[in-house]
Amino acid sequence: MIATCLPRYASLAGVCAGLLLALSPAVAQTPPGFSPLDRSNPQASQQDVNLKPHPTPPTVTPVDKLPVDKLKLPAGFKAEVWSHGHPGARTMVMGPKGTMFMGSRLIGRVYAITNKDGKREAKVLLQGLTQPNGLAIRDGALYVLAINKVLRFDNIEDRLDNIGEGVDLTDKFNLPPDIHHNWKYADFGPDGKFYIQVGANCNICELNPGMHGQIRRYNADGSGMEIIARGVRNTVGFDWHPETKELWFTDNGRDWAGDAGPEDELNRLPKDMEGANFGFPYCHANGIPDPDIKRPHPCAGVIMPAALIGPHAGGMGIKFYTGSMFPPEYRNVAFVVRRGSWNRGQKFGYDVAIARPQPDGTAKVEPFMTGLLDEAKNEFHGRPTYVLPMQDGSLLVSDEQNGAVYRVSYSPEENPRTR
Amino acid sequence: MPVFAVGRPLILGLAAAFLCLGAARADDMPLAERIALCGGCHGEDGNSHMEKIPSLAGQPAYFIMNQLFLMRENVRRVEAMMPFVKDLKDGELNALADHYSALAPKASGETIDPALVERGAALVATHRCASCHLPTLAGQEQMPRLAKQRLDYLIHSLKEFRDNKRSGADTLMSNVVIGASDDDIAALAHYAASR
Repeated sequence: MIATCLPRYASLAGVCAGLLLALSPAVAQTPPGFSPLDRSNPQASQQDVNLKPHPTPPTVTPVDKLPVDKLKLPAGFKAEVWSHGHPGARTMVMGPKGTMFMGSRLIGRVYAITNKDGKREAKVLLQGLTQPNGLAIRDGALYVLAINKVLRFDNIEDRLDNIGEGVDLTDKFNLPPDIHHNWKYADFGPDGKFYIQVGANCNICELNPGMHGQIRRYNADGSGMEIIARGVRNTVGFDWHPETKELWFTDNGRDWAGDAGPEDELNRLPKDMEGANFGFPYCHANGIPDPDIKRPHPCAGVIMPAALIGPHAGGMGIKFYTGSMFPPEYRNVAFVVRRGSWNRGQKFGYDVAIARPQPDGTAKVEPFMTGLLDEAKNEFHGRPTYVLPMQDGSLLVSDEQNGAVYRVSYSPEENPRTR
Repeated sequence: MPVFAVGRPLILGLAAAFLCLGAARADDMPLAERIALCGGCHGEDGNSHMEKIPSLAGQPAYFIMNQLFLMRENVRRVEAMMPFVKDLKDGELNALADHYSALAPKASGETIDPALVERGAALVATHRCASCHLPTLAGQEQMPRLAKQRLDYLIHSLKEFRDNKRSGADTLMSNVVIGASDDDIAALAHYAASR
């Protein structure tokens, strides 16, 4: 609930008032000056009007039906099933004592995955939350962010059998209550601050830049909020470059503006440019003006992406690799997950790519783990969502469609001919 | 047919009554008994005659399975449904989904306003409802049938999506109806119910 307007919003008092009105069930008024509805134009986009989101099964995929045999990797790499039987698998964070916590969307669960006699065991830690995608670990505490909810569970790994109610920090973080694009991605940065996504509450619309389409950072207790990136339609994955400490984040492009894009973005927030503008809703991808919401010089002052990652690709998790198991050319490259398109006739993505940062601040993108998309049949076998580098240098990849995690390892002697 | 008062207390009361009826055989209830229990509110043939209780006849099987699952997990919170869904096993969800998806939907008999239907037709086009719910509004996969659904339930549901009280299988419905006026919602509902 928006009980108060933060001082930061003081100059937008009218907007705050408008939001309060909109929240009252008796008055369904749009804040003045803001477009209430999706502004996309079905005629202009010339897309198949029957495109629709793919369902995410809430039920278990049997282990023998997992598409692990279809996965393709560069020579020397192999993939195997690491854990399974946890529908809706998305975000992954590792506790200091070796428990993996996993967030989800539709199914509303947070899982704890532990090692038992060399086998992974998944248990439902929390359920009944609204899209608890945001997970972070700090000082032994698990932070769980669902839509309009922030919870903290102290000493979580010592209390896995009885985690209690947790500390409710929702009011302290004072996040917008909107549902669309408001499932969270969150992580602690190298500066110790808590970084949280707040997406645009629409496909394409004018939005309140003080409220939506941002990345924010807070102190761990919810105080000291700062908007550090604006004009971000919806990022669901970010990480910091191991050497430059700059923030890199994926951003999903708008729908219903054609099969060709605008492409999803991989962005870099340059050092000392906190608060910079990334273009939404006026400027997309590498400088494409929005076809439906027009204004003069739509891309003026907008930070262009480090790389484009494909049309309707569904850019998700990103993690820089600092391990020693993979060959040296993988050091400090980012693994970027593309969950796969829905708003596109010919499907695209459903893979894990790598982004190699270049000296000029851009990145080169190439495929890494493919095979889940059958291009000829235009069908997919799984939807990867997040990656997590492990202590031993292997890489975990979650598959939301099949409720599984795959482990990618490198051993040129054992796997000389993979791919 | 008794005249029912509107609202939640009644629904909860009914839920409690049925729970008592079912208490002696909570587990492993035969499907036919389960369906009879559902029919008490949702109609024997899956077409509801009760205010704000949705019709299930002709809903896509995936949609019914998914929603029962989400209610069982308390993700979609419908208090009145909780006693009926909390012990359902995955197989039972599928059996109920198959049963109701095979029944024929019938209009509820609520009064449809032709002027609102006409306005609703235009809104349905601009809001691209057919992309997910099909041009017939019969629904598919995780997206529900809207055609011949009860008018009062459609209005109730659309307001829940608009007012951030329900997230749906995806959050796209919140995007579609955000900022819609009560009049827009009435028009959309009259159009859908009349199909």
